[in-house]
Formats: sequence, C-alpha cells, structure tokens
Amino acid sequence: MSADLLTLLGAWSIATLRSATPLIFTTLGETFTQRTGIINLGVEGEMLVGACVGFAVGVATGNPWLGLLAGALAGAALSCLHTALVLGANANQIGSGLAVWMIALGTTSYFGRVLVGNQVTPLPDLGSPLTDGLPFLSVFFGQMTMSVPLAVAAVVFAAWWLANTRSGIQWQAVGDSARISSENGIRPGIVRFKAILLGGLLSGFGGAILSVDYTQTWAQDMTKGRGLISVGLVIVARWKPALVLPICIMFGLAEVAVLRAQTAGWTISPHLMATAPYLVVLLILIVSHAMARRDADMPADLRSVFA
Amino acid sequence: MMPKAIACFENVSRRFGDLVAVNDANLELFQGDVTAILGENGAGKSTLMKLLYGVYPPSNGRILIDGEPSAITGPADAMSNGVGMVFQNFSLFPALTVRENLLLAWPKTPFWASERNKGTSEVLANLTRLAPHINPHSKVANLSVGEQQLVELCKVLNISARIVILDEPTSVLTPAEARHLHGFIRQIAGEGVSVVFITHKLVDVEACADKIAIMRQGKIVDVSIRGQRSMSEIVTLMMGSDVKRTMSPPALPKKPVERLFLNKICADAPGMSLKNISLSVASGEVVGLAGVAGNGQALLAEVIAGIHPVTSGDVVLDGQNLVRRNQMETLATPLGYIPEQPRENAVVESMTLAQNLSLRTLASGGIDVNSDVQALLTRFHVNPPEKDRQASTLSGGNLQKLVSAREFGSPRAAILACYPTMGLDLSAIQTIYLEMFAQAEAGAAVLWISEDLDDLIAGAHRIAIIREGQVVAVKINDGSLTRDKLGALMTGMNLDELVA
Ligand SMILES: Nc1ncnc2c1ncn2[C@@H]1O[C@H](COP(=O)(O)OP(=O)(O)OP(=O)(O)O)[C@@H](O)[C@H]1O
Ligand SMILES: [Mg+2]
Repeated sequence: MSADLLTLLGAWSIATLRSATPLIFTTLGETFTQRTGIINLGVEGEMLVGACVGFAVGVATGNPWLGLLAGALAGAALSCLHTALVLGANANQIGSGLAVWMIALGTTSYFGRVLVGNQVTPLPDLGSPLTDGLPFLSVFFGQMTMSVPLAVAAVVFAAWWLANTRSGIQWQAVGDSARISSENGIRPGIVRFKAILLGGLLSGFGGAILSVDYTQTWAQDMTKGRGLISVGLVIVARWKPALVLPICIMFGLAEVAVLRAQTAGWTISPHLMATAPYLVVLLILIVSHAMARRDADMPADLRSVFA
Repeated sequence: MMPKAIACFENVSRRFGDLVAVNDANLELFQGDVTAILGENGAGKSTLMKLLYGVYPPSNGRILIDGEPSAITGPADAMSNGVGMVFQNFSLFPALTVRENLLLAWPKTPFWASERNKGTSEVLANLTRLAPHINPHSKVANLSVGEQQLVELCKVLNISARIVILDEPTSVLTPAEARHLHGFIRQIAGEGVSVVFITHKLVDVEACADKIAIMRQGKIVDVSIRGQRSMSEIVTLMMGSDVKRTMSPPALPKKPVERLFLNKICADAPGMSLKNISLSVASGEVVGLAGVAGNGQALLAEVIAGIHPVTSGDVVLDGQNLVRRNQMETLATPLGYIPEQPRENAVVESMTLAQNLSLRTLASGGIDVNSDVQALLTRFHVNPPEKDRQASTLSGGNLQKLVSAREFGSPRAAILACYPTMGLDLSAIQTIYLEMFAQAEAGAAVLWISEDLDDLIAGAHRIAIIREGQVVAVKINDGSLTRDKLGALMTGMNLDELVA
C-alpha cells in the first residue's frame, strides 16, 4: 500500500520536474535579459526555433545531445534579430519581441511540417542498478534524464554568478541605469547584447528540451505560450534566479495535475483544463504583487520600456 | 624649464546643436596642481571636463595627454588612462551596496568578486582609510549625500588616477565636510595627482587652488596662479561685472499673523524619525531651519510637502490641514516647494522647460500651459531661455533655477525651500534670495532649510535648529546670533565646554 503511494509520489515528482525543465531554462534566460534592462518577448519564438531545429538535428544525427546543442544555437541566432532591432535600430522592445515571435512561428510551422511524425532518440535515463527496485527512487530516476540535474545546476550557477562575479554585478548595474554604467566605464550596449544572446541561447535550449527530451515529438506551435509565460514568471520570481526553480516547479505541478485529471477522465473541456497552469501563474503573480511592496526589485531601466 | 603638462586642451570646442557649450578652450593641467574652474551656471565647466573624460568627443580641437593626442573615446578608456571623474550629480547605483559600487568602477576587479576572494579586499582599502564609518554592505540609497560623495572619491582613488576631476563636490557638503575634502585634495595633490576642482565657492578656491581658470559663456577667459588676483577681481571676471552680495530680508509685519503651523509632528522613515516637531511661521516671516545634514530636515520637508506621511501631528496652512491629502490636492496647495536634488525630485527631465513650468498649474486644473513661460525663464535667468528645450539638457545650476521659477514664479501662501541656492553662481543666488524675500514681503510664510549659517544669519528672522529629528531651539535673529552659537546647537556641543 505505502509502496504504491511512494511510487505514485515518485511518478508525480519526476513528471513535475520534467515538465518544468524547459521552462526553467527559458525563464532563467529571460531573467538575465531583464536584469540588464531589456525585455524580450521573442523568447517564445526563440523557444520554438530551438524546439524545431533541435528536433530536426536530433532526428537527422540520431544524437539527442547534438540536437540540444543545435537548438540552443538556433535560439541564440534568432535573438540577434532582437538585438539588431532594439540596440541597433532603437526599436520598441515590445514590438521587436512580437516580431521575432511571429517570424519564428511562421518559419517553424512551414519548415517543421516534414518533422511531424518523426521519432527522435531520447536522452538516456538515469536509472541504475543501484536504484532499481527501491520504492520511490526507481521511478524517480528511471524516468529522469540529464536535463533535470542540468536545469537545477544552471539555476544554482546563475544565482551565484549574478551575485558573486564581476560580470554579474556589471549586468545588474546596466539594468539599473545604462547612463550611470557608462559613466563607470561599463559599455552597456555590449552587456545588453550579451544578455539578449544568453537569453536566446537558454530559450533555444529550453525549446529543444521540450521537443527532444520531454515530448519527443514535434508539433506546430508546440511551445503553446511557454515563452510568454516565462516572461511573466520572471516577474513572479522578482528577477531573482534562485526563485526561478520553485516558481517553474509550481507551474510544472499544475500542468501535471491537469494531465492526470484528463487521463482520470474528468469531464471538463480539455481546452479549459489546459488553462489551469496559466491561471496558477496569474494567481501567484497577483499574490506576489500584493505582498511585495511596489516594484522594488525591478531593474530600474526596465521601467522605461513601458514609458 | 616648465614641467610638461599632463593634459592639455588645444582650441577645444563642443557644440550641442546650435549651442556652443565650450568655445575654443585652451588649458593645461600639471602634475601635483589643483586647478579650480570657476564660472557661472551654464558656462561650460562640466562639459569641458566631460570632454576630457570621454563622455562626448570634442567638435573641434584636440586634447593631449602626456603630449600625445588623447585616445580616450569613453569613460572606460579614461579610467584605464588614469583619469577619474566625480560627476556633479554622482554616478552611483542606489540599489547596489557600497562595495558593489566600488567593484564596478575598479578595473582590477577579479572575475570572482565575492568577499571570500582575498584579491578583492583591496577595493575597500581606500574606503577604510577615508571613511571608516561607512558600512560597505549598506545600500548606497541609504547613505547621506556627504557619504555618497566619499564613496565617489574612493572610486576615483581606486583607479590610482593621475588626473582627478571633481565637479562641484562641495555644493552638497556641510562646511565641516568641505574642510575635510579640502585637506584631502591637498593631500592627493601632494602625492602628485593633478586635481581639477569645479566650484562656485570662493572658500574652496582659497582653501586649495593652485591655479584658477575662469570660464564665461564657453570660453576660458582667464587662467591665473594663486595669489595673482584678488577675490573681487575673480568674481568680476566670472560675472563679467561686479556683483555685490547683499541680503535684505523684508521687515517683519507689525502684527504677526500665523500662516504655517506645524503641530507636534511625528513621522518615521528608515533610519530617521521626527519627534514632536512644532513650529509656526507668520505671514511675512522668514524662518531658517539649520541642522547638520541627516538630522531629519529632509524628512521634515517631505512631511510638510505632503510626500511622506505623518504618524501623528498636523501641518496647517491658513487654517487648512495639509496632512492625509492625496497627490493632486497636495500639488494644488499654494505651497511653493523646492526639494533637495531637484533633478531627481522636482523636474521631469524628458519634458520641455515650458511643460515643467506648468506642472503645478496642470495639477490644479489650469489649462493655460504656455502663458508667461518666456517671462519666467528670463526673470530667473534660466540659460538658455528656450521654452521648448528638453529639461535634461540644462546644466545643474540652470535646472535649479527652473524649479525656483516654477515655485517662486507665482504668489504663494507659504514657501518651503530646501537648499534653494545649491550649485548656483553668485548672481543666481542673488536672484533666488530676492524672489524668496519678495514672496515674504507679499505675505507668504517662508521656511528655509539651509546649511549656510552666514546666509541664514543674514536673511532669516528666526532660526530653528533641528537635531536628531527634534527641533532643539528656535532663536530670534536679533543680531546676537553667531556661527559658533548655531554650530554648537546643531552639533549638541556646549559652548562652554568648547571654550574650556
Ligand atoms: N547633452 C547636452 N545637450 C544639449 N545641451 C547641453 C548638454 N549638456 C550641456 N548642455 C548645455 O551646455 C551648456 C554648458 O553646460 P554645462 O553643464 O557645462 O555648464 P556648467 O558650467 O557645468 O554649469 P553649472 O554650474 O550650472 O553646472 C549649458 O547651456 C547646457 O544647457
Ligand atoms: Mg556643471
């Protein structure tokens, strides 16, 4: 009886983590970008491109790691468009982000048609003779791939990097004020370029994990707004990398709950059910806003985007 | 043989559109010299030094460093070439800690910048030497202006600069802090640093300048060696005419009618609380409020202006209670308010001068945006007096004048002025005092916060002293008040103790 319970718990935990993983990378990337005072709604597009290119390369080479790498690079490449528009041409950041998204949506829908129905070699699971047969751990590790520990490591590293390294402090400074940064000898343009690039890289990677590792399929517009959600999650996480992990896990948990409810044969429309994770995010956003006093944690230069 | 100049401006000009901010300037800076740069507001002092620091390139002419054409194309280059600058309105990040601010401006910051890395301890060395009382882990936003200034100086020291540019550093300092700074400037000059010291205060020049360069309308009109010219000659050169500094507060009305009344105000802010402050100002009266910076005067001003809430007590103007009102009601109050640091607190930099001047009118429901704007700009000598210019392009002093023009420009029931002459040149100071006293003459109750005791003694009817959030004394200015007496009250030290 209790062994069943543990197995169930293990299954839920790992499902939650796996559904959260793509989002963790994307949210982390967007956190970096926003910390330097730039908002990039194009992450949705970068994720899509990452998912599409990653899946294609994974299928073509039969190597999922190459797929993930290619997805990350594709996301980074697409982010250069946002850089060019925003930093180069001084375009409105919201408009530029939407443009990047739409371009990605169109191209991946077109070129992705040939990928539909293909199979990709999955990443190996982390189950080992050590954990086999153990009540909780066998399920937990049996269904886990390297992407999960990688995501956790990325969050820990990001939090450490931002607070403890020279470049991390510089990035925070640029987000606070580009003018003051340049008076201090920092080149804000370069920092922002790097931050958008890193955001694109991580979003592309997150997208590739979604297609290559999590769902192991390609479908048109398969990110279904996850990129935009990550923009919101950055705010919920108060622009703090460390909070990205728990917040994304919360979203993952809601998503898993919906899937389980569907398989359990609930009679609510699946379309309505699918909105549940987003409602959870909205709820957290409202509560966190009500609790936090004003927008004290917001990078000051980010405000000007909305002015 | 003449020593070689460490930096040299050769026929340097800088234009902003039609405006020539620096016009054909020639200047040499030498090792171990303190060069004071004087000039009216908008004369081009800050711009000249920003050219050296690489904020803008010169439009014409060139700058030599060590005899070679300068390769500085931005502040980053300037810093690695040993040029450090403390800006007029600071360049610190309020949201970051003191230590992080220092790390940001330190070229030697290692990749791993955590405190556990021994290689970073050096970044705090100058801070511990210069200002051991500042906690490196407190946020810059929580420091007083004087303390922020010290952090800025540490930044410059940390790059072991050969040229240190200080843009009006003393305008935000108390006299004691300023004296400390003078000593410090002499010290680094003695170590061979070339210091450029932009100022409006002749005390600064007297205390530490070796050379005095005077700018007027973008031109360097005179460079003299210390002692070569008398102070009045210098003032004449600066203004283009002789300016006499006279102050004549209006006569007190025969029968005092109370207008502005503070009743047992208590308020709390991080690190400061006001305790039971009561004070009344009569119609036509000028009451000075003196105190060492950080003793609650800033908070009191915000409370009176309706920006900071009270925990208890009342602010009454003409029988109307001003506390617990919403923002629009506060803006519509006939209280002229000049806050500290007007660039942050009193203007919208992205708006034009005309729009800034009409902000209060708009709030009180008026619609006539452009009436009298031009006249106001001229009356307060805002330079350039172009009403469609964006406020962010005004020099520090002219921005202060713009705020005064809005607040003093129409009749008010009361005036609350915090350091209204900060960063202004002598003739502008004269204008501000004239306008402030004219308001009193017309019946306004004037509360004037200042650290300049001489000015307070010359111009206020009564002087209240604030210390640690309390009004510790209110003295009638009947001729018996002296700097020392007020200073003793401000610091809480007993005069007799000082003598003994
Ligand atoms: N970025 C800019 N764009 C347009 N005009 C500018 C800019 N910076 C300065 N100016 C103009 O150049 C002139 C000189 O300004 P500057 O700041 O050098 O004066 P200043 O001598 O430092 O005066 P203050 O004592 O008031 O600080 C002013 O008329 C100012 O309006
Ligand atoms: Mg200036």
